[in-house]
Amino acid sequence: MTELGTPAPVVSTVPTAAEREAGKARRRKQRQLQEKRLPTWKVRVWQLALLAAILSFWQWVPTIHAARQVVSALDPFFISSPSLIVKTLRELFTGHGEPSVWSYVWTTLRATIFGCLIGIVTGIAMGLLLSTDVRFRQVLNPFINALNAAPKIALIPIVIIILGPSGAASIVVSVMIVFFMVFFNAYMGGRSVPPEMLQNARLMGASSFAAMYQIRLRYVLVWTFASLPNAVTYALLGVVTAEILGGGEGLGQLIVQAIGQVDANLTFAVVVLLSIIGVALVSATELLRGKVLHWWPGGASE
Amino acid sequence: MTQWNTISDTMSGMVRDARGENSDVPVEAPVPTAPPRRGAATPLVSVRDVSFAYPNGVLAVTNVNFDVHPKGITSIVGPSGCGKSTLLRLISGLGVPTSGEVLRDESLNRDSAVTMVFQTDTLFPWLTVEHNTEVYARFLPMKQRRAEAAARRQRTEHLLEMVGLSKFAKAFPYQLSGGMRRRLAFVSAVASSPRLLLLDEPFASVDEPTRIQIHQDILRIIREQEMTVVLVTHDLAEAISLSDTVLILTRGPGSVFKEHPIEFGIERDVLTLRQGQEYLGLYGELWEELALQIKLSKEQND
Repeated sequence: MTELGTPAPVVSTVPTAAEREAGKARRRKQRQLQEKRLPTWKVRVWQLALLAAILSFWQWVPTIHAARQVVSALDPFFISSPSLIVKTLRELFTGHGEPSVWSYVWTTLRATIFGCLIGIVTGIAMGLLLSTDVRFRQVLNPFINALNAAPKIALIPIVIIILGPSGAASIVVSVMIVFFMVFFNAYMGGRSVPPEMLQNARLMGASSFAAMYQIRLRYVLVWTFASLPNAVTYALLGVVTAEILGGGEGLGQLIVQAIGQVDANLTFAVVVLLSIIGVALVSATELLRGKVLHWWPGGASE
Repeated sequence: MTQWNTISDTMSGMVRDARGENSDVPVEAPVPTAPPRRGAATPLVSVRDVSFAYPNGVLAVTNVNFDVHPKGITSIVGPSGCGKSTLLRLISGLGVPTSGEVLRDESLNRDSAVTMVFQTDTLFPWLTVEHNTEVYARFLPMKQRRAEAAARRQRTEHLLEMVGLSKFAKAFPYQLSGGMRRRLAFVSAVASSPRLLLLDEPFASVDEPTRIQIHQDILRIIREQEMTVVLVTHDLAEAISLSDTVLILTRGPGSVFKEHPIEFGIERDVLTLRQGQEYLGLYGELWEELALQIKLSKEQND
């Protein structure tokens, strides 16, 4: 309270120049400390701009005669062009001028999905079992390590010799790849359960099976879902490789045909198709992970 | 006459020296440090001449004697590494003494009759707060689980109300603060109405003001449910505020140095209690004993 006769001090709400400077410096410092992130719309604009730049470069640079003179590989005969690829893709889907692609897509997709499902289920079951029971672990560990160390791609010819160039061979290759990826993650997930959690469950009267089902399986699933995008991508790779090497039906076989005809347009079109399938499969697993692991802070994809 | 359940002492001859000699020489005849209290009530747990050595031969506790009386709160304090948590595990049945015996009332044999709040988080991250509270029910036979559903739900609501988590019933653990998670761990342990509740430094990770608030809440629940509690803590203030008996352990391998009855009564307000002269005098007295053990422990480690 002010004394009688003394005027109350006037408090100005207008910041002084020094205060404004200090405010600016503070905001600058805050921005520096924050993770630099772009808003979604800016991200999309940048992504589209980058894609447009790449496609434009691909489309127009080979038309420059001087450029082709310097680098002969820039000839559309070798590297095709976005417009030719789009044209080929349209023909593939409509069946005009090229073999209809649907049966090839279905064969590859079916082998990938079946291979993934079988590999995931067996990988989870094995990982859960080995992380739960030390006796299984003791006996099976060296065998699993040896099998995992073997390059799976080298086993593809053996699988083709045994099963012939068929859809079954592609599925088996896909299972081999997915199983080991999922199994090791599932195993590590099962081993990552805090011992206190299991002890707590034991005090509550949980049987070994209940502890495995109610607790360990959840940790196994977290680690498994973390590995799924990679597993799916590699499953597709395994299937296509088996199709290329074995000559079975599928998009791998279409690539072989395209190479035989020295058809860069068809080769690139199939590669684009495979990329779309891969992205769709990975997106589906990301979506599934978000749904199943909604309780886990890292569960939802970015 | 109470029926006892003994955690056996079959390994009594295999105790190894804490200082590293790996001889299989039997431990010297135990010298009773604190004879079991002869009270009116029959003890719920009686720890008799208990020693425990880890597989590497390090002795954690030696010749420990004390009783846990029904409806009482017994706190165990002592220097770091004196075997406080080990003792709790032996009482819970999660460990077996190397020599001596832990006699437990037969009523403790049913599932969830003994529950424990661990130092580390044992919450189920994929369950909501309300489902975490009644998590013990997941390990009950299906018939019993269904029959008790309504009563269990009511009890869960009551407990969450008591610790101020009602508003967060549908939240997941990762959405809670540290103090809330500790509260949830506590109600999850008491939801099954255990006869014996073991607390292993349950609030060590919580800041002091939150801890005192939690003390008040849990004290109310413990008294209301008429539970018997054994609390292991490094916080002497916590031990005195909550307990009816405080046991001070010697430096490791720990044994009971002194047993102090705390006579602040059943109804106590933790906040006002800590301001009283009686409390401060007792704190000073016990701190002197504890500080001596801490000093000896430091000398031993140096």
